[in-house]
Amino acid sequence: MSIELTHEPSVIAGKPSLKQIDASIIKPMNEVPNKKFFMAITLTLTMLSIGAVSLGMSFYRGLGLWGVNNPVGWGFAIINFVFWVGIGHAGTLISAILYLFRQKWRTGIARFAEGMTIFAVMTAGIFPLIHVGRPWLAGYLFPYPNQHSLWVNFTSPLLWDVFAVSTYFTVSFVFWYIGLVPDFATMRDRLSNSTAVDKIKKTIYSVLSLGWRFSNRHWSHYEMMYLVLAGFATPLVLSVHTIVSFDFAVSIMPGWHTTIFPPYFVAGAVFSGFAMVQNALIIIRKVFDLEYIITLDTLEKMNKIIIVTGLMVGYAYGMEFFIAWYSGHEVESFAFLNRAFGPYAWAYWIMVSCNVIAPQFFWFKKLRTNIPFMFVVAVLVNVGMWFERFVITVTSLSRDYLPSSWAYYTPTIYDFGILIGSFGWFFTLLLIFTRTMPVVSIAEVKAVVDGAQPSHHGIGHSTGEGH
Amino acid sequence: MTNSKPKFWKSLNQYNQKPESVEATHHEFVNGVTDEFDVNALPDKSRRKFLALLGASSALAATACSDYYDKGEIITYNKKPETITYGEANYYASTLNNGAGVLVKTREGRPIKIDGNPEHPIGKGKVSAGDQAVIMDLYDPSRLRYPIKKSDSKLVLYKDEMPRSDWEKVDTQIVGKLKEAANSGKEIAIVTHSILSPTQNKLLIDFAAKYPTAKVYSYELLNESEKISAWFDSYGSYDLPSTKWDSADIIVSFECDFLGTEGNVTEQIRQFSSRRDMDMPEKFNKLYQVEGNYSLTGAMADYRLRLTPELHYGFIMSLASEIVKKGKNAYLGSDLSVLSGYSLQQFADQNKLNKKFIDELAHDILAHSDKTLVVAGSSMPNSVHVAVNLLNEVLGSVNNVYDFSRANKTQRALSTNDELKSLVNKMKGGNVGVLIHFDSNPVFHLPSDLGYKDAYQKVPTIISLVESANESCQANQYIIPINHALESWNDFELRSGYYSLQQPVIAPIHDTRQKEAALLNWMSDNVTGYSHDLYHKYLMSNWEISVYPLSGSVADFRSFWFAALHDGVAVIKAGQTEKPAFNISALNSNPFKFAKQNYTLLLGAAYYIGDGRFANNGWLQEVPHPVTKSVWDNYAMMSPATAKELDVKFGEDKLNREADMVEVTVSGRSLKLPVLIQPGMADNFISVELGYGRTSIGDVGKDVGFDATALMSINGGITSRLYTGVSVKKAEGIHHLVTTQEHHSLDEEFVKDFHLKRHIINEYTVPFYLDFNKKYDEAKRRLKAEFAGDEVAFKKALKSEKIHLLGHHEYKNHSITPDRVYTDVKWGMAIDLNKCTACGTCVTACNVENNIPVVGKEEASKGREMHWMRIDTYFSGTPEDPVTSFQPMLCQHCDNAPCENVCPVVATTHSPDGLNQMTYNRCVGTRYCANNCPYKVRRYNFFDFRNDFADGYYRQDTLELMHNPEVTVRSRGVMEKCTFCTQRIQEARTSAAKDGRKIKGTDVKTACQEACPASAITFGDMNDPESPLSKLREHPLGYHVLETISVKPNVTYLSRLRNTVTEEKHGEH
Repeated sequence: MSIELTHEPSVIAGKPSLKQIDASIIKPMNEVPNKKFFMAITLTLTMLSIGAVSLGMSFYRGLGLWGVNNPVGWGFAIINFVFWVGIGHAGTLISAILYLFRQKWRTGIARFAEGMTIFAVMTAGIFPLIHVGRPWLAGYLFPYPNQHSLWVNFTSPLLWDVFAVSTYFTVSFVFWYIGLVPDFATMRDRLSNSTAVDKIKKTIYSVLSLGWRFSNRHWSHYEMMYLVLAGFATPLVLSVHTIVSFDFAVSIMPGWHTTIFPPYFVAGAVFSGFAMVQNALIIIRKVFDLEYIITLDTLEKMNKIIIVTGLMVGYAYGMEFFIAWYSGHEVESFAFLNRAFGPYAWAYWIMVSCNVIAPQFFWFKKLRTNIPFMFVVAVLVNVGMWFERFVITVTSLSRDYLPSSWAYYTPTIYDFGILIGSFGWFFTLLLIFTRTMPVVSIAEVKAVVDGAQPSHHGIGHSTGEGH
Repeated sequence: MTNSKPKFWKSLNQYNQKPESVEATHHEFVNGVTDEFDVNALPDKSRRKFLALLGASSALAATACSDYYDKGEIITYNKKPETITYGEANYYASTLNNGAGVLVKTREGRPIKIDGNPEHPIGKGKVSAGDQAVIMDLYDPSRLRYPIKKSDSKLVLYKDEMPRSDWEKVDTQIVGKLKEAANSGKEIAIVTHSILSPTQNKLLIDFAAKYPTAKVYSYELLNESEKISAWFDSYGSYDLPSTKWDSADIIVSFECDFLGTEGNVTEQIRQFSSRRDMDMPEKFNKLYQVEGNYSLTGAMADYRLRLTPELHYGFIMSLASEIVKKGKNAYLGSDLSVLSGYSLQQFADQNKLNKKFIDELAHDILAHSDKTLVVAGSSMPNSVHVAVNLLNEVLGSVNNVYDFSRANKTQRALSTNDELKSLVNKMKGGNVGVLIHFDSNPVFHLPSDLGYKDAYQKVPTIISLVESANESCQANQYIIPINHALESWNDFELRSGYYSLQQPVIAPIHDTRQKEAALLNWMSDNVTGYSHDLYHKYLMSNWEISVYPLSGSVADFRSFWFAALHDGVAVIKAGQTEKPAFNISALNSNPFKFAKQNYTLLLGAAYYIGDGRFANNGWLQEVPHPVTKSVWDNYAMMSPATAKELDVKFGEDKLNREADMVEVTVSGRSLKLPVLIQPGMADNFISVELGYGRTSIGDVGKDVGFDATALMSINGGITSRLYTGVSVKKAEGIHHLVTTQEHHSLDEEFVKDFHLKRHIINEYTVPFYLDFNKKYDEAKRRLKAEFAGDEVAFKKALKSEKIHLLGHHEYKNHSITPDRVYTDVKWGMAIDLNKCTACGTCVTACNVENNIPVVGKEEASKGREMHWMRIDTYFSGTPEDPVTSFQPMLCQHCDNAPCENVCPVVATTHSPDGLNQMTYNRCVGTRYCANNCPYKVRRYNFFDFRNDFADGYYRQDTLELMHNPEVTVRSRGVMEKCTFCTQRIQEARTSAAKDGRKIKGTDVKTACQEACPASAITFGDMNDPESPLSKLREHPLGYHVLETISVKPNVTYLSRLRNTVTEEKHGEH
């Protein structure tokens, strides 16, 4: 087989007509959801209610219901926060950074990944608010003028979090919404006023599409806006997890106080974000028959990013050990030895096997193009990344400076309940998203189909007939 | 109408005096505007109707909501009592029921804090942890509130459904029963604890005069009978002289926990620590501890030998024989042939004793023979105490270490075992008509094989005078609620000539009576004419007759009385008493005849809950055991080797310490209880603390721990608390033992000696320090000359010289920001680890002062105890012979406080006088500050512990009176920590401002400092170069914990010097 180097390989399999694309992407929104959908949403809603009950109990009785204790003041809530913020990294990275780098293979997955970002950040955002002892006073975390002349503490990384996460959410949301506008217009145009339901849907889509008329002028503004927002969102991808990592790095706890944290956290976030997107897309493309848009080739490219970021994370693990030893600081060295060989060694080795060892299989093309296999590896990566946050948060606190205050942290059913609830919340939102909005960008896919762009090869180049 | 045209007019209509116009001038507004307001009359869509309804509904809604601040009425004094000023505390000198002289702080009439009475010659201003916490017993909701005539033995006693009776009825009935018993010749048995009060003793004599069949039985679970009888055998007197612990250069203690549970601990700690002054290292005393148990005293010892108690006798005799052999015998009596069979060398070889220990001990007691104090624990038998007396005689130290002029007074000898047995027989035989439990709990305390529990129920009339119902209130009986010590009058004479007075500082909170007054009332002919001052008058008249004449006071009695009441104590001049002659035949009359067989069991005293009477005091249950750090439990303590032999495990699951159960059997009596493995215990030796396992008590103390009195026998083993030939085997099941500190395996290289490696604990030896001092002084001279005049450079060079001489590494902390300069007062603290004996009094004092809640066993097991001050325990050495280091740990009020910069809401800040402050109202509870605290001293309210502990225990009416009004009561979700008693600083500031002077560092005493029996804590102004604190901060032994992380803590620790000859320096690596 000879490799064609004269033009870019197509990111869309086959040569679907524009109508076909419209129809296949919009299909889920025009159908009454099937049994499988209801089963899925029942499951996620059940998980959500488990979380709601656990959280309600925690509000009513106090955080004592959780496993947090005296040296270990942060437990599942902060772990989940960092985990979900991490998940929220892939979307903006795919849609903004890859867009700027003209990576066209992102087209099929960008919308969905962005949606996941929004929902992941929405999930993450809950945790800083509920992990405080008096959530009814969480408003104190925001700098608002008040009669007490009280102001917030700008030296606290927790406050930086408030700004970083809220900025990231706002920009991601705007970016996502701007991208949706032409698709909303398509949806609006394809609906008739024949039934009452369609009428309502049409009204909603009309409002959401902001009067989009597909005019050249619109497109020209849209492209510029999209480019600007992509440029705006790009640094945020790096800044959010950098700032989240400051929660740890700015403290003086051994195992937290390390300068490697910002890049290490960002790499980890992209790593887990891609794994989560990959997992979800494998299901979506199958269920919604979008295999020709979200191609195996796209999945393979994502796996390549997983292996790259996985190596970065693995490098960080190694470097942490080296620096701890190199610093000559006893407490610091012990903190890392304790991670690997102390009471939480089990968590550490789960983390290492899932994050460092599991992705190594992607060196083999056969394995990284095998869908069931890559699915399993990505699940492992997410498990591993959750444990990474567990290891960082808990092991450092449980054995810090004074051996007299060392203690073991054991989560309770309320901690697990809230963790399950967060997954329930995330997937419920995701399921609703798949039924209400196009999970693949219709407009962008149309632009990357073979022959959509002017080419010196002329029409039909992909078949090689143009020569 | 027409003839009066208006002069001024606004319209033609008015000018023309049209009627409607005239009418209109009478109204200010046009028609309809000023009509009476009627909502119903308004049209449906009216602006005014809308506003009216809106206003009305919000007003209604607002009134329907109750104000959450409104938790009751606060009524000011209509007429201010002379002695009470709002916001100002009153102090009263009084005495607690154990004879401790106290100063009670009251606010607005409520006692809120107990400290030592500085005038008291024994306590000298200090009291124990237990005494500090007694305040909680006063307000204990489980206290009885009225007399009860109980006819159902199943009733829960302290709840509301108790059968209430009234005093008159009860009194009349009781007097009838007493008369009936006296007339029919049946015994009236009064069972009481030991009598410490001369007037109370007189009352019991008077009672017996009124009712001739009355007989008093007194018992004490933790008694000193063996010691006293040995003293009697040796010297022919029951009055033990008081010990001058501060006169002894060498203290050799055999199973005697004199720094923890035995004797007058506060006084002993003070005297012991007074010989641990680091500025006089050559004057340091040296403590040798020989014990099977691992006690707090053992942990504090310079040298410790683990030895099972059966061998103590032989060891003491061998030591005496060694002294004689070396020609140092000071005993002038004749025959010492009793020692002939003993040789120290042979004894040591035979029992494979640590040679270093034996050599050092022999060397030291020979060198300091007349300044050596040998003591044995009260659990040891008569024969051991006699041998100790002999050893002291041989050493010639008796006159130096004992004070014969102030003997420990025995008001009334405890009943012998035979007397108690005869009481039980009489009860069984129906010969006891009335049984009075005089503030005692014999069913719980007396050995089960005495059969008291079955026998007492056969007595037709039982009267229990108790504060709250106990195990001895289970039969049909009268239950008479009595006053707490703080509501009572009494006197105490613990030591001859020290008469200390108890006075009420609050009127009885409930409908209770003082127990003595109840007896007096039953003795009077006018039973219904009770008045609260019955005993007060009786006490005064007794003093007028018996104490006043002794005083030699020139003032009249009333002046004498009020002076004594004011001071809390009357000191009668001591007579000169000569040391009686030692009777060597005592050795032969009661020989030691116990050989080690199977396991040996020691029933030890609990550190904080006494003999179980303070078991309902949550504060005391939650003060961690000074050695094991366990809370809310007792257990079988054993060595790692013994545990291995028994195949039992403990604490393999980190903080939730699961412990295997063992079954301990002593001659057929057995008890199942959990295991706690304690390094340093003798092998094949088990110790269990008494006082736990109360079953009939308030919510807090019920079913906490295991009742080890079940193992006791009235006939005793070696003694009533020491048994040999005990069998121990692994039993089914596990138990959760809660310790507030993980114990890290001593032999696990991974975490071994971290406290030394991380310079948390720096320790040296006395010889090293003496040597250091010489070099340091020399360096000082040299550097002074070198840096003539340049004080800063001199100090810097001296510091680095010091670090070099101590063998540490010097390090530099670089900061990119300039240090904040504190120009005015800056608070700091110094803790002298030489003096600290880890008694835990500071912890309790802090709890009381700062309204620190009890969290209960379950929360403590999750590491959520709220103590602002804790005492950290570290072990090094081997599991067989561990070396223990203690360190009180509290907020260090760091200059670069890492907690402050991470709080997102500025709830924790630094004050201009150097305090790290917490603003509870602002705290949202992110716990970031606690995470970032390297000392982990911040405490978080995981729940509202006031609601959460024991079903809202703290919310019960009386307990709310207990709180210190100067300290905010914290609620759920808020972080808290040591404030350096900021309320006390504020009080001192106010009074300084009132006097128009500047506040001085010494004006303020923190609660922990005030309570510390060893005076190990110094607080003050570090900017005042003359203050004691500044001197300690400059002291060469001073160091900060975790100096390398540059948080600049303001608590200086003074390194402990161990008085050992070994050149190995702790704190090095």
